[in-house]
Amino acid sequence: MPKVFITGIGFITSIGNDAAAVGESLRTLRHGMVRYPPFDRPEVPVKVAAPVREFSTDAAECEDWTLPERYRIRREVLRSMGPCSLYAHCALLQAIADAKLAEADVSDDGTGLYAASAGSPAILTRLVNRMHEQGAMRCPPLGVVASIAGTVQFNLVAHFKIKGASTGFSSACASSSHAAGFAYDEIALGRQRRMLVVGAEDGNVETILPFAGMRALSLNPDPDTASRPFDVARDGFVGTGGATVLVLESEAEVKRRGVTPYCEMLGWGQASDGHNVAISHPEGDGLARAMRRALAAAGCTAAGVDYVNAHATSTPIGDISECRALLAVLGSEASRIAVSSTKALTGHGLSLAGAMETGFCALALRDGFVPGSAHIRQLDPAAAGLNIRRETRPAALRVVLNNSSGFGGANVCLVLQRA
Amino acid sequence: MPDQAPSPGGPAAPVSRPAAADNEAALRDSLKRCSSATVEAAVAYRKRHNPELLPSIIIGIVERFVEPDLRARLGSGDDDLRFVEDLGIDSLTMMEIVMLVEEVAQLQIPNEDLRSLRTLSDVKTYIDCRARGLPPPKPSKFFSIEHLVALMPIQPPFLFLNEASVSSASASAKYRITGQEFFLQGHFKNNPVMPASIMLEALGQLGVLFLLEGHVVAEPGKVVGPGTIYFTGCEGVRAHRVCKPGDVLTLSVRPKRMKLPLATFEGSIRVGQEKAVLAEEITLTYGYVEAPPPEAPLPAPATTTHGTNGSHGSHAANGSAGTNGSAHGTPGGSAPEHFNLPEN
Repeated sequence: MPKVFITGIGFITSIGNDAAAVGESLRTLRHGMVRYPPFDRPEVPVKVAAPVREFSTDAAECEDWTLPERYRIRREVLRSMGPCSLYAHCALLQAIADAKLAEADVSDDGTGLYAASAGSPAILTRLVNRMHEQGAMRCPPLGVVASIAGTVQFNLVAHFKIKGASTGFSSACASSSHAAGFAYDEIALGRQRRMLVVGAEDGNVETILPFAGMRALSLNPDPDTASRPFDVARDGFVGTGGATVLVLESEAEVKRRGVTPYCEMLGWGQASDGHNVAISHPEGDGLARAMRRALAAAGCTAAGVDYVNAHATSTPIGDISECRALLAVLGSEASRIAVSSTKALTGHGLSLAGAMETGFCALALRDGFVPGSAHIRQLDPAAAGLNIRRETRPAALRVVLNNSSGFGGANVCLVLQRA
Repeated sequence: MPDQAPSPGGPAAPVSRPAAADNEAALRDSLKRCSSATVEAAVAYRKRHNPELLPSIIIGIVERFVEPDLRARLGSGDDDLRFVEDLGIDSLTMMEIVMLVEEVAQLQIPNEDLRSLRTLSDVKTYIDCRARGLPPPKPSKFFSIEHLVALMPIQPPFLFLNEASVSSASASAKYRITGQEFFLQGHFKNNPVMPASIMLEALGQLGVLFLLEGHVVAEPGKVVGPGTIYFTGCEGVRAHRVCKPGDVLTLSVRPKRMKLPLATFEGSIRVGQEKAVLAEEITLTYGYVEAPPPEAPLPAPATTTHGTNGSHGSHAANGSAGTNGSAHGTPGGSAPEHFNLPEN
């Protein structure tokens, strides 16, 4: 099977809007949380979020949005986008430049695009309200494609003239890891030479605050400690948005173009809990089986793994499930293999999380460091036996795992290796 | 009024007349990106319903959706400007324009009517008829080069129309000077320039198409015969611009007088927004022949179709024009786009 490499990355995240800024945030443990102004109302119990900086996308009409000067997008392109598509568009421009792809490489029968996003609930809400108030014929013609799940790939595939495979993935917080896994398959099976993997979320009131109702969000009003995976006092996740784009390419393509990849993608695995619609299996059963499958598919064992980027979102139940899965799979290597959750810095990006954290792992492999798991004052006893790294340290990494778990008990593990 | 309230969680009753339509504040909000003159004209129209206000309101609404670099074209007063080719407006933007026009004029434009609105003039005429309670004009017909070759008595290499559209009030056409025209070898020496006489010929050919399309009152059972039409004269001709290979000529003719055997048109040719040729009068002679039996039809020219039928599952109308795959898309840089519909 052809080898698969990551050759380009684009980031629009709460901890930086390009790879350099993101790398710096990971090294210095600079987090992206703020007291989020839209939550600054007495009836909102949640106070902290990790919004994307430099963009303003809360206005109802895209003409009132602001974006960094370096991105200039015409209204006829912007009007079919929600914030998630806008962030993904900008991240894709970065990733294309980073991978040194020519326009003809991007718009080619051998290049596909898989995306993951929950759509734009804010835009969908306005659309449906307008339909009820003013009638269906007074609704914006592109309201549907701008809002429904799938809006990210609709926009990117059209605007970047993608010719190969394209679809979207919808497994909540595992979505963009699923996208990366199936994108790997497209190349490994020889169907595509190159895949663009996109994770994106609006990261606004409408995508984040509904999670308060299921008691999944941190009520901690302090931006410096609200997100603290593996800490005994964690009380929920902090919401974020943005986009990450990964460029996956076959070995032949890497050689033909003469580019230096970040890392190799060795394989992936997935398994389901078969347990609960919204709560992870208490023993991390599905995640453990996903990790085992991923290692088997990659042809390696825990002995070769140096770092695991955990899914750990800072929820009381989820982090414990993952600790148990890690202890079960890593076995005697558990005390050696570095583990961290970068969600302490970024917040939880939902559909964005898998692609974003795979991007972090690619930076860690190329630049030789383990990102620390920030904000831990007292480690949860459930993590005893794991090597949870609290500081970012230099490390020559060989194999790295990235875990993701979503609603319905969907679990994905991606395996990356130094190129 | 519980009988009018939508049931919670259930489907709301269709709203035939927007509740806020009579509300001036809502109108001002809908038009907030239009010029203040447009807003005031719209408010005035809502109060007095005087159709004279509608043309400038329509221009003001169109302007709001045209990319800034193309807006100057709207100021030229040229009603033959085409939404797609000249103003860079695609079928989806056209829907946005129509929704605002509908809101101002408080009328509904059916999809099948929308498809025939190809130029500013089409929209102005259509809305004016609707506002006055008159039947809207018949849609203009579009002719591809294949249709033209099948229909016209004039044939290549002497046919100077690449495509054309004909309505009851006018005809317009495009011709691209390729540089391969045989006469350019000698006109002039090492300096190919489209002869003014040929440009008048092209306007005459467009007049021929207009006559053949039956927009003259014929005797019962008779039609204008393709073999009966000849050029007889022209008046008030001025050539303003040298036209060379690569130039795309936009031709238009409007009938001035029609009385057997003479049909007189005024004609103009533009290149982009620049005047190339004006002819105050171009006169053709024509005659009638027996109408052909109905079972020998010519290839049916398609009525101009503007893609507004978004009912094709996930693919509403067509993609957007001028989006060049990146944030750096060149304004108007993509090829002229025709609306594509499944039924096309």
